[in-house]
Amino acid sequence: MAELPFPLPDLGEGLIEATVLEWLVAEGDQVERNQPLVEVETTKSALELPSPQSGKVLKLYGAPGEVIKVGEPLIVFEVADDTAGIVGTVPSEDAPKRRVRLNANLDED
Amino acid sequence: MEMTTGRHAGAAVHHTVEGTDPGLNVQTYEPEHPAALPPVLLIHGFASSIALNWEQSGWISALREAGRYVIAVDLPGHGLSSAPEDVDSYSPSRIRADLLQIASDAGARPIEPGHPDSGLDVVGYSLGSRLAWEFGATQPAIVRRLVLGGPSSRDPLAEFDLVAAQRFLADGTPIEDASTAGLVTMAQASPGSDMYALLSLVEAVKEEPFDAAEAVPKQPLLIVAGEKDERVEGLEGLHGLVPSAKVVVIPGRNHVNAVTARAFKQAAIEFLGEG
Repeated sequence: MAELPFPLPDLGEGLIEATVLEWLVAEGDQVERNQPLVEVETTKSALELPSPQSGKVLKLYGAPGEVIKVGEPLIVFEVADDTAGIVGTVPSEDAPKRRVRLNANLDED
Repeated sequence: MEMTTGRHAGAAVHHTVEGTDPGLNVQTYEPEHPAALPPVLLIHGFASSIALNWEQSGWISALREAGRYVIAVDLPGHGLSSAPEDVDSYSPSRIRADLLQIASDAGARPIEPGHPDSGLDVVGYSLGSRLAWEFGATQPAIVRRLVLGGPSSRDPLAEFDLVAAQRFLADGTPIEDASTAGLVTMAQASPGSDMYALLSLVEAVKEEPFDAAEAVPKQPLLIVAGEKDERVEGLEGLHGLVPSAKVVVIPGRNHVNAVTARAFKQAAIEFLGEG
């Protein structure tokens, strides 16, 4: 398994930061892609950020009321090594199983 | 992601209401697994849009996930709707007529006993709540349930100092009235806002100010507001007119950030899921 950090994305409109309103997931949760992760507020509006991918939540950054700048870490996922794009660290006992899970992305829109 | 962007109802159906095409952007969204419940019409607030009030806030995905077919409209001069020059295009009565036509074109039909998917549920926020209140009161045959977010029993737009706002925009003269200054700041902060159109809307609202007692909705009603929303004090005015209304106050939230609150979405989805 590998750690995949996800920074606060560019929110457009020249926004440079956002304030955390409420986390909708907790450390240890298994989340699906597009599942709502967190509510944040900018100087222009409030918005809900969907998960960029599936995985287990390892770490959350920012308690409610704290400010996170665009590009700073927001959340860290634990994902399978090949998903994270890391080469050469796949444990051998897991490798054969992963090869047959080719239909995992069927429900992505 | 194409599936969630919805289709433009205006592309298929072109109706004029009172002789002119309102040029309103309408977006509809199919549910993931349709529930036997009516469509949900979403009406956003002043200086907001479908994108800000409903999409990026997570409302559309939450409603789709709850099995609801969603009809969303950008108000005139907002979002992707056109910004007509005549003030009449922005009048609340004209907008309500357009909403009725839009809902009907999108497939909403009158409430019919024994048909749980007949009728129309309506969710409004801020100015959208005022429109939803009046829409429900005047269209009892089609509107089944109402959710009003961040509503006001008074009318902050009717009390808006238009002359002071125009002077501020022309030469920067400070606006004395705090409510007017706040609304102008909000309008200026709103991405892609058309200040001329927003002031036309204010002008039209001043001609038809909100009088909640004039027409009171008879439908089941849910009122939701942030605890720190300055409008929360006025909720009692609406609650007094509809004593059966359910009221939910979201702790720690204000008029801007109550929109995304999970507690708001959950309360609305639960309330609109009742038969």
